[in-house]
Amino acid sequence: MSLRDQLQIMVVDDMSTSRGLLTQALDSFGIRNVSSAENGKAALALLAKKPVHLVISDYNMPEMDGLHLLQHLRSGEKTKGVGFILITSQAEQKIIDHGKKLGMNNFIKKPFEVTQLKICIEAVVGRL
Amino acid sequence: MPAPHDPMAEIKASFFHECEELLDVLQDGLMAMQNGEEDSETINVIFRAVHSIKGGAGAFGLDGLVRFSHRFETVLDALRAGTLAPSADVLRTLLSATDHLADIVELSRDDAPLPETDTLAICDAIDQLIGDPAPKTTHQSDIDFEPEKITLNLDPSDPPKDQAHVPDTTSKIRHFRITFQPFAELFETGNEPAVLLRHLHALGHASTSCDLSDLPPFEKLVPDIPHLRWDITLETQADLAEVQSVFEFVEGLCHLNIELESVSSADPTPAHQSEPPQYRNDTAAPSRPTTGRQVKPGRPTPPVQKPVVRVELDRVERLVNLVGELVINQAMLSQSLDQSGLSPHSDAMHGVEEFQRLTRDIQDSVMMIRAQPVKALFQRMSRIVREASGALGKDVRLRMLGECCEVDKTVIERLADPLTHLIRNAIDHGLEDPATRCAAGKPAQGTITLSAAHRSGRVHIEVGDDGAGIDRPRVRQRAIEKQVIAADAVLSDSDIDALLFLPGFSTAPAVSDLSGRGVGMDVVRTEIQALGGRVSIQSAPGRGTTFSISLPLTLAVLDGMVISVADETLVLPISLVIETLTLTAPDVSLLRPGCHVVRARDGFFPLIDLGHHLGYRPLIETFEGGIVLLVALADGTSAALLIDDIVDQRQVVIKGLDDRFFRAPGIAAATILGDGHIALILDPSDFVSGAFDTPRVPHTAPAPQGEPA
Repeated sequence: MSLRDQLQIMVVDDMSTSRGLLTQALDSFGIRNVSSAENGKAALALLAKKPVHLVISDYNMPEMDGLHLLQHLRSGEKTKGVGFILITSQAEQKIIDHGKKLGMNNFIKKPFEVTQLKICIEAVVGRL
Repeated sequence: MPAPHDPMAEIKASFFHECEELLDVLQDGLMAMQNGEEDSETINVIFRAVHSIKGGAGAFGLDGLVRFSHRFETVLDALRAGTLAPSADVLRTLLSATDHLADIVELSRDDAPLPETDTLAICDAIDQLIGDPAPKTTHQSDIDFEPEKITLNLDPSDPPKDQAHVPDTTSKIRHFRITFQPFAELFETGNEPAVLLRHLHALGHASTSCDLSDLPPFEKLVPDIPHLRWDITLETQADLAEVQSVFEFVEGLCHLNIELESVSSADPTPAHQSEPPQYRNDTAAPSRPTTGRQVKPGRPTPPVQKPVVRVELDRVERLVNLVGELVINQAMLSQSLDQSGLSPHSDAMHGVEEFQRLTRDIQDSVMMIRAQPVKALFQRMSRIVREASGALGKDVRLRMLGECCEVDKTVIERLADPLTHLIRNAIDHGLEDPATRCAAGKPAQGTITLSAAHRSGRVHIEVGDDGAGIDRPRVRQRAIEKQVIAADAVLSDSDIDALLFLPGFSTAPAVSDLSGRGVGMDVVRTEIQALGGRVSIQSAPGRGTTFSISLPLTLAVLDGMVISVADETLVLPISLVIETLTLTAPDVSLLRPGCHVVRARDGFFPLIDLGHHLGYRPLIETFEGGIVLLVALADGTSAALLIDDIVDQRQVVIKGLDDRFFRAPGIAAATILGDGHIALILDPSDFVSGAFDTPRVPHTAPAPQGEPA
């Protein structure tokens, strides 16, 4: 059984279009176990019930942004080991540095190509 | 993209849908800022809306949209950073940028060419706001993505095993609790639990206890089936994956649960197929896909979203039609039961009462499906306000109340024109210019209030201004000039206000571009009445004018007056009827042969013999004792309709006449009555205005007094 069949990913973005696009892209990699949430808070609530292996999160979201989500994930006993990829179009050094400090596994800058996303994910979880 | 075509098209469609929502959010936010809400969250929400549009547009390669939203975002970023203060001018520019963004979104959706010159003008205006239009480097890189930046900034290439969040995997002692229960098949595949247990022991210090509870008595023991279960606690430096690898060859052949109990990174372990997946292979998985089948999760959790179903309108229409049938059917059943002579206390009668109640509930619920908040409509109006106030050089604020109020979709669509007209009118004629306002001790900024509310089964929409109010002497003067009223006519204030609804009546000294487009308030009233609504005016000199529109919640059901004419049953919309009279001889005067008028309500109404007019019978000779309905019509005309009898007053389901029927003058639609008969629904406007010249009588046309509820 290959990694992509097992891998469970949560997509976090306040824009349903982005969630749809990401899910679609993951689907094209053969990753089917994809859940989604529309902001950090909703993601945390879902993850508490049903953990995943990797969270791919937007940065700028209402309620709770991507890096706050990361911070909460890393401080939660059950979630601190989850992989985390930040999606941001504000690829500012400050944000990336902050993410790095919090234990961000990778980031990808919007807009991105599907292949870039794959490379980005593979850098975190290994070959798909 | 390797993705199949269809899902992408779907996502793209949903993107444009989402854009509309985001544009609403954007506009809401900017208007909140105009109202003084300048907190960082409001600004952030605005920023995010534009940002999200840009992001989505980028994904679909909508370059024009990306470019403009990027420029827009740049200013908003300055606002967010505090380098740009949200002054009134700034907000105005941002709102017009919002309007432009809405245009570009729409054009992009239709694959239409974008208005480059307009875009340039708006971009210039935006650039002037931020002074230095040179975008920050990060923004530039938004467009040219540098792939090396990922490795450069973060160095994520190092495989995850050593990531900070999985701190050193070797030095810590981990305590695992392992439950292992082989299935019957385990032996068949040549596996041996003892070997597995020995391997576990090799990893560190393990204490093993064997659960014998499932062991059958010796005489029933089947030797090639495992009966034992082991609980192992393991202290080891090995990580989870290594522990799992011990069981690599028995996956699917046993119940296995591995839990990391203590020490450092808590990675609980997958267990049975039914259990939720856990982190155990978060990063190490690729190299060790050991317990694969067992980790296989159930369905992924659905996203937390407001549950919404998008349904084609056709399906809803079908449902609405069926409910109409149900209502008719129920009425027929009730009627035949009534006539059957059953006791009102019989079970059948109770049952049919209950049925009636349920039918009404179903009807209401189905109509609710078509209902939409008026918010979207109001949002469009705020753009009208901006454009109109800009064109007229007036400073206007739009206040919106009750945007969440829900109204039938069709009603909303058809309200846009009359509301636009009323709002333009209010800004053009209602509000004074700033200097006059200041002189009158009012704030220079005028306020237009747009409100919606549900009251007694109807929706009330009001357009109010805080302007000078209706100049009644001038309206009166104008009416006399136009020979609409006699110079010595005694008119109440509301009579004078009602004159505004007469066709071709305008008090504006000059026909302006904006509101005087040759259509007057009479068109507004026609449109509102076509929706089964009424419009009325309240005005106070110096304090402003409010137009109140009252509308039915749905167009599918009509409050009708069931009448009989020459043995035919007809339905007249009750909202048109202002009074019912029984004629006496002095009421009727002969104007000329074949033309009679009825004197009522301080005026003369042309008398129309419906039976004759619809071709059911010749004109009757004597009118005395006849029943007439005074009707006030959309275009301000009115008439007295002579009928034989009033049968009933009830809600009827409107059934549109098929297109194959030619448009019969005076007939709007049809309905099915409780007795199963088909009745035509009348539209008197055709024969009232065509009957003979409508006398210009002052009337309090849309006033509610004579109207049954």
